[in-house]
Amino acid sequence: MENVIDNQKESEALQQRRQQHDKAKRKRSRRMWLLIVPFLVLVVAFSYYPLFGWVYAFFDYEPPIPLRDSQFVGMQWFKMMVANSTQVRQLMQVLINTFAMSLLNIATSFFPLLFAIGLNEIRNKHFRNIIQTLTTLPNFISWVLVYSIAFAMFSTNGMVNDLLQNLNVIAAPIKFLDSDSLTWIKMLLWSTWKGLGWGSIIYLASISGIDQELYEAARVDGASRFQLIRYITIPALMPTFFVMLMLSVSNFLNNGMDQYFVFQNAFNQTHIQVLDLYVYNVGMGQNSLSYATAISMLKSLVSVALLWIVNIVSKKTRGASII
Amino acid sequence: MDKNSTLFKSVVSGIKKVAVVATVALASVALFACSSSSADNSSKKAEKDDGKLMTVTVYDDLANYQGLAKGWFAQYVQDKFNIKLKMVAPNVAGGGNTLFDTRTAAGNLGDLIITGTGHVNKLVKANLLTDMTPYLDGMKYIKKYDGATKAISDLADKKGTWGIASSVSSGSPTEASEGLEATTVPYIRWDLYKKIGYPTLNNTDDLLNALKEMQTEARKEEGKKDIYAISLFKDWDGASMQNAGQNLAFYGWEPTNYALAKGNGSKYESLIANNSQYVQGLEFLNKAQQMGLVDPESTTQNWDTMYAKYQAGKVLFSYWSFLGQGAYNTSANMAAGKGFELAPLKGMKVFSNGNMPDGNTTFIGIGSKAKNKARLVKFINWLYSPEGVQVQQAQSTGYSAGIKGLTWKMDGDQPVLTDFGKKALLEGGSVKMPAKYGSGTWKDGISTLNFVAVMQYDKDPTTGYKYGYVTWPSVLKINETKLSKDWSEHMGGATSTMDYLKKNNELLVAAGVSYTAPEDPATVATTRGSVQTQIVSSSWKMVMAKNDTEFKSLLTSMQKTVKGLGYDDVYKVDLKNSKAKNAARQKVIEQYKDEK
Amino acid sequence: MSNIEKNETTPGFKAFRVFNIIFFVLFTLICFYPFYYLIINSISANDLSADGLINWFPRKIHLENYVQVLQLSGLGTAALVSLGRTVIGTALTVIASSFLGYMFTREDMWHRKFWYRFVVVTMYFNAGMIPMFITMKNLGLTNTFWVYVLPAIVQPFNIILVKTYIESLPKSLEEAAALDGATTLQTFIHVILPSCTPILATVAIFSAVGQWNSFQDTLLYITDDKLYSLQYLLYQYINQASSLASMVRNGGGVAAVASAAQSQTPTSIRMTVSVVVVLPILFIYPMFQRYFTKGIMLGAVKG
Repeated sequence: MENVIDNQKESEALQQRRQQHDKAKRKRSRRMWLLIVPFLVLVVAFSYYPLFGWVYAFFDYEPPIPLRDSQFVGMQWFKMMVANSTQVRQLMQVLINTFAMSLLNIATSFFPLLFAIGLNEIRNKHFRNIIQTLTTLPNFISWVLVYSIAFAMFSTNGMVNDLLQNLNVIAAPIKFLDSDSLTWIKMLLWSTWKGLGWGSIIYLASISGIDQELYEAARVDGASRFQLIRYITIPALMPTFFVMLMLSVSNFLNNGMDQYFVFQNAFNQTHIQVLDLYVYNVGMGQNSLSYATAISMLKSLVSVALLWIVNIVSKKTRGASII
Repeated sequence: MDKNSTLFKSVVSGIKKVAVVATVALASVALFACSSSSADNSSKKAEKDDGKLMTVTVYDDLANYQGLAKGWFAQYVQDKFNIKLKMVAPNVAGGGNTLFDTRTAAGNLGDLIITGTGHVNKLVKANLLTDMTPYLDGMKYIKKYDGATKAISDLADKKGTWGIASSVSSGSPTEASEGLEATTVPYIRWDLYKKIGYPTLNNTDDLLNALKEMQTEARKEEGKKDIYAISLFKDWDGASMQNAGQNLAFYGWEPTNYALAKGNGSKYESLIANNSQYVQGLEFLNKAQQMGLVDPESTTQNWDTMYAKYQAGKVLFSYWSFLGQGAYNTSANMAAGKGFELAPLKGMKVFSNGNMPDGNTTFIGIGSKAKNKARLVKFINWLYSPEGVQVQQAQSTGYSAGIKGLTWKMDGDQPVLTDFGKKALLEGGSVKMPAKYGSGTWKDGISTLNFVAVMQYDKDPTTGYKYGYVTWPSVLKINETKLSKDWSEHMGGATSTMDYLKKNNELLVAAGVSYTAPEDPATVATTRGSVQTQIVSSSWKMVMAKNDTEFKSLLTSMQKTVKGLGYDDVYKVDLKNSKAKNAARQKVIEQYKDEK
Repeated sequence: MSNIEKNETTPGFKAFRVFNIIFFVLFTLICFYPFYYLIINSISANDLSADGLINWFPRKIHLENYVQVLQLSGLGTAALVSLGRTVIGTALTVIASSFLGYMFTREDMWHRKFWYRFVVVTMYFNAGMIPMFITMKNLGLTNTFWVYVLPAIVQPFNIILVKTYIESLPKSLEEAAALDGATTLQTFIHVILPSCTPILATVAIFSAVGQWNSFQDTLLYITDDKLYSLQYLLYQYINQASSLASMVRNGGGVAAVASAAQSQTPTSIRMTVSVVVVLPILFIYPMFQRYFTKGIMLGAVKG
């Protein structure tokens, strides 16, 4: 209301000057935009332009027959995902697995943050550097090799079972790999082991960006070490944490497939099949690029929708949008 | 209310923004749509050869090497045709069908193309293959196997000579195509079988009991408790559990995915039917498992791990000669009387593929963008000539004998290996090539095409003996060992697995046909994907079932689930293909009778 | 005793510190062990390794696996290509991420929010393999070095990281620069860049590791073997070993397997290749680390 009254009160000269100012401002903001145009061109070229490929989802495309000679099938591939009740039931189980894995990952997404804080509390610089380097190592080992290591350790004749049997802790070998008990938790443990050190890098960077004077001042005021962490470090890491959290929420449907693929077997299949793996398993028998496109298109759309919802929720609850 | 309305507003504004983004995206998409279309340049006229040295790109589904071919075979081809071979190998490149998909999308698969016959129709339709007709004058060997070119022509909708099928044979289609070893039969550790006193094996139960005794014996002998009669792996599972499907071949059955058929077309059944041959295969493995004969790591290990166990003598049974014998029958073990040999299981009627006069389901053709097509046709012609078969199909063991005068020669009217040939073909092949034939070792220089033009057990018209030197009398004598003698003594003097099966009338030869199944309708293909996941995982569970009751209930639930997923539609297609294949077989048999 | 030191020595904090150290030592061991496992297996006899007998110490040490890998033809060129794409690709990504990250914090930019979303939302798109291939082909990028670099320049994830980081910086710096009449670019170069080093180091690590490890793009877009990346060359080598094993099934017969058995097993090759690939990262990684070492070091510095 006040603004309106102000405006009314303004003299014409003032208005003119403001307009001129606005014009300059607009010009300036346009010029700023021009600076990022080269990058936008890249985005268009490599991200938007290829989206033409989504039309494959509505054809029965099989190379080498070019698209213009392929048959248009409309929504056939989308309908096929829910063709009969058994399939729907299976798909539901797959979605449950996907959600469970994603929820577990989201619920544990503060681990890297704690890891970074803990690591930062280690005083010896060299010791800390060594730990930091070595804990990122699992990130570089492919899932195929992780499985061969897991097999050496945890198979029925593996190291762990041998050890436990020799110590007479157990009589029969424990089936770590080929049973369906706690499949979700086991998968979570593997992915945590592989990604924890690597995931903490972002937080370590944020910690080193914290203004040192804040700590100094707090110390002089008699704050304890815990209080420093509680009132300075953690709040400083929160923005990054929230961004990461929101990104993983909107990535709900994408668990990736490598990990689940190498660990899957007949016994844990019911609970290990996440969406990406399911698509692969179903696709194995048919090699349909169109079906694969239909699914990835659907996933893209759902993910963007999720991101958008999360963004709105974030705006309402935190007062700040994430993107 | 207020809160809701602001939420609603932001949703609406969100939609607006999404719409703007979408518009920009669509605008950029529109650019895409007017991308180039390839010109049709299928000229019927023959082009002249410029005679220059050229690098030929070979797209080869069978190759295990990618890049420029090197070594003696490459040298041989260059000297003869002025051609360098540049291999493009999906097996090596990785990514499944990626290479095929992207290369065909780009409009050039390769100058020479070696791929499955299932692709012929589409490749012709997309104008990626050359019609060889104008170049066929004087191409003696391509013409000799005209059935193999016709088999490919028949698959295309357009008239023309689009390629020639592989693995052709001039032998009778009603005769077995195997040489010494059958494809799938029960192989057991003969030395242990000997130790337990050669018990009679009237049926698979006897076989299991013998294996049980052998396992006990082996564990006692070696002092190791991790020796198992049977070890399985899942790497090759496809439509069903691959290992369980092997028993089919013992009794003359052949699977076409879910339709099981007797090799002579006398019987058909569904893979999941109660008591089908496949279910019996599962029962066999489950019984073995209940008797403690199955390696518990079977469910989680891969081929590599399992193969190492065979090499270490920790597994006592094998479905294939290339596994048991390949891993364990080293010259040292065989000299000591140890090794895998065919088990004398009674009542077998082993499935065998007959010779295929019209070739197998792989073919070789020329890409539409290739240069000097006349020369490439000559090259293909050479691959099917006796010299081409001898040289191109030589490996470091088995197969053809290589270059005449270097690795083999005629001794009177008999072919024999030279001393160099023995080193190259019987002792691992790490022998250095003479300077005349280029550099490197024999083993490193063998053909990278990995293409079987003519079956190696076909008769070589230039020698009067088969191409495969392992069947030459002179080589059979060299290969005799303590193990093979003992086996032969107890098998009625048989000289080889195939010899034994033929003598005892335990072979069911399915006439050799080149049958390419039509592609699945799109909807069936998707159903197939979900059905097979279910069948494979249930099969493994059944093999590992603790008792017969659990086995039965797993079977019932599998049948119910896959039927719900649409198994019957898939089965119908498979049955149709299986019957079509059999019809083709009958036709070949008739044809062959007429020719006689 | 100063106030500060007293805070460091409360019993609660001591307990925390002991627990902390124990945790990190254990976790580091668990993380390092697999890598150690790969090393000892890659230098032990391959049959023992395939048999699963090498768990703690190497046995029958040999270097044949490494000799085989290092004898691959084209290894030198491929290493150069990989190095080139890692250095150039990383540099460009760091520049793009920092610049865009900064620009997207500038509320006075024309339709800032829209363009930010325009970029970020692409993280969730996946056009598919064939469309990407056709795009690269139409842009004339197939079989060029630039196909490795150009598509990777704008990385939404990295932009978000940098933007978030810049937003957490004190506004005062930038405002001071603006009062001095600095242009956008000047502010970016002289004020923003220097204070962003930790996050830029992170972006650099992410990007460098991504570039170094990537092989999918070679498979899709490159047929000229002079442009093969190191990872792809090694990936091919692994495939070659595995395909020998699967070749057997297609009626190969005893021959093929007998020769495969003599040579390296696919697993031994995979392990060797992993070690070869990870080692360079292990040496370069500490160089980035100094950007993370500021932290809460006061206690240590004074003590």
